[in-house]
Amino acid sequence: MSMRSGFAMRGVTHSFADGGTVLQVLDDLSLEVGAGELVAVMGPSGSGKSTFLSIGGALLAPTGGEVLIDGESFAGKSPLELADLRLNKIGFVFQSANLIPYLYVREQLMLVAKLAGMEKGQARRRASALLEQLGLSHRANAYPSKLSGGERQRVAIARAWMNDPAVLFADEPTASLDASRGRDVVGMIAERTKAERKSAVMVTHDDRVLSFCDRVLYMKDGRLVPI
Amino acid sequence: MFLALREIRHAKARYALIALIMLLVSFLVLFVTGLARGLAYDNAASIQNMAATHFVLQEQSEHRLARSAVGNKELAAAREAVGDAQATPLGMRMSAVMVEGSSGKLDAALLAVDMNGWLSPSVAAGRTITGGAVMTILADRKLAESGAQVGGVIVDVATGIRLTIAGFVDDESFSHAPAVFISLDDWSAMQARTELAAGPSADASYNAIAVQASGDRLEALREALPEAEIITKADAVSAIPGYKEEQGSLLMMIVFLFVISAFVLAVFFYVITLQKAGQFGILKAIGTRTSYLAGSVIGQVLLLSTGSLAASSLLILLAQTALPASLPFRLETDTLLLTCALFLGMSAAGSLLSVAQVARTNALDAIGRAAG
Ligand SMILES: Nc1ncnc2c1ncn2[C@@H]1O[C@H](COP(=O)(O)OP(=O)(O)OP(=O)(O)O)[C@@H](O)[C@H]1O
Ligand SMILES: [Mg+2]
Repeated sequence: MSMRSGFAMRGVTHSFADGGTVLQVLDDLSLEVGAGELVAVMGPSGSGKSTFLSIGGALLAPTGGEVLIDGESFAGKSPLELADLRLNKIGFVFQSANLIPYLYVREQLMLVAKLAGMEKGQARRRASALLEQLGLSHRANAYPSKLSGGERQRVAIARAWMNDPAVLFADEPTASLDASRGRDVVGMIAERTKAERKSAVMVTHDDRVLSFCDRVLYMKDGRLVPI
Repeated sequence: MFLALREIRHAKARYALIALIMLLVSFLVLFVTGLARGLAYDNAASIQNMAATHFVLQEQSEHRLARSAVGNKELAAAREAVGDAQATPLGMRMSAVMVEGSSGKLDAALLAVDMNGWLSPSVAAGRTITGGAVMTILADRKLAESGAQVGGVIVDVATGIRLTIAGFVDDESFSHAPAVFISLDDWSAMQARTELAAGPSADASYNAIAVQASGDRLEALREALPEAEIITKADAVSAIPGYKEEQGSLLMMIVFLFVISAFVLAVFFYVITLQKAGQFGILKAIGTRTSYLAGSVIGQVLLLSTGSLAASSLLILLAQTALPASLPFRLETDTLLLTCALFLGMSAAGSLLSVAQVARTNALDAIGRAAG
């Protein structure tokens, strides 16, 4: 059990310069997510949740402040180093599953393992185990277009876990699912976060999945506040 | 190649179509190249085959062998400058001939060379010409299609002189006519007969002096014959009537085909790449390096071009055996390989547009678009 795993933001600010006016989206935002912790982030549309997640996921550089994964800061990293960081340390589940249309379900997982240089036999075993756990074994050789919405979302979760990331980010992972499917998907995220002592941050509008989360935070005036 | 191959697997029809287009274009490129090479050979083979580096022509003959006349005086001066063995006379006359025993005239290029010297062609069938024989020739094998055979006779229409075929040579032609080699003695005798009316000529007359020279010796030659035109073999070849025009227009076609194929490829892959902006964004977001994606795009292009080229090379080799012998088509292995390499290069260049697009794709935009 690694206690060093964790995610932190310190005094992060972000503003968009949008046609002359400057839009302050995040304002001195700080957050710590420990190992084995699943944090839910809620808030009205346009409050900056996706922006916050993009910064946490090393997709967007904040205007100010610091982001750390496993105690390692993003600051001063080149685009190449950030890509490697996303590949190895960060798992991302997007609002819509965002799978690669021409890869079979199993290959979606094999791709990220291959990019990270995982040994092939090990990658195959890990992919099979993940698909098994997410109830996708029978769909391993299907194209994404042949899957249901819930199945696709589960493949995306499996892909996010594939490289054993330190932190998982999920942006409204249940938006395209019905209530029971949504609960299943979040249940799986919670279960793995606990079992493997990872950190997870999930943006959601869905009250029904909050029971799986350790903490629920609200995005208000560019900061995250407890309810 | 992980992504490149699987994408082709997923969209077989789309990629088969572009491969087919490339196959057709590259087939055309190879065909026109073969035709250009064939015509060039048909037009200039005998000059190309000569071991000469330069030719000495009369002044103001504008590089044309047919317009030049040189005599023993020039020959002696040339030999003085470059060495006895390195300069040898060459006679050339376009002529109409008839194969004895069959009707119909044929074009032929009479080439007078020293049969013991380095201009004499190598005999492919029959025997070489030795000192004693009179009015014997070595003829290009193409004449055999008109009924000529070793030991047979062809008649020079202009003079009525009968020429006995001692042997055949391969791939010897000049100005699209099969070449007929005669000895220098026979050449002089032939000229003596045509010039009877004009009185006996004081000096033997040739069209040019072929030399093997470079550097100082070439300088010495220029000093010894300041009036004469001294031209390279390449100059002599491109001065053959029609040669430059033929090669120029064919070359233009080839260049255009190259440009068209690169353009078609570039546009095809650029459009596909634009369509895939979202996918590239996702791949980048999950940590794929841009260089990997660029490699994937270029790999796909090269894979398709290599496949198409292999198929069209095979087709062109098949076509080559099926083409009528009268069609001057010639594609040596090195020309084939060079053309293929150029084609691959153009394809790779065409894919750079897509690579630039991939590099520009922003992970965040793609996700935003996909989510919104
Ligand atoms: N690239 C950008 N340029 C300018 N403004 C932007 C950009 N991206 C986001 N914004 C603005 O920043 C604000 C926060 O956007 P964000 O997407 O983070 O909101 P959100 O909380 O995720 O909303 P939703 O719940 O609707 O997804 C919005 O007002 C948005 O218009
Ligand atoms: Mg959002």
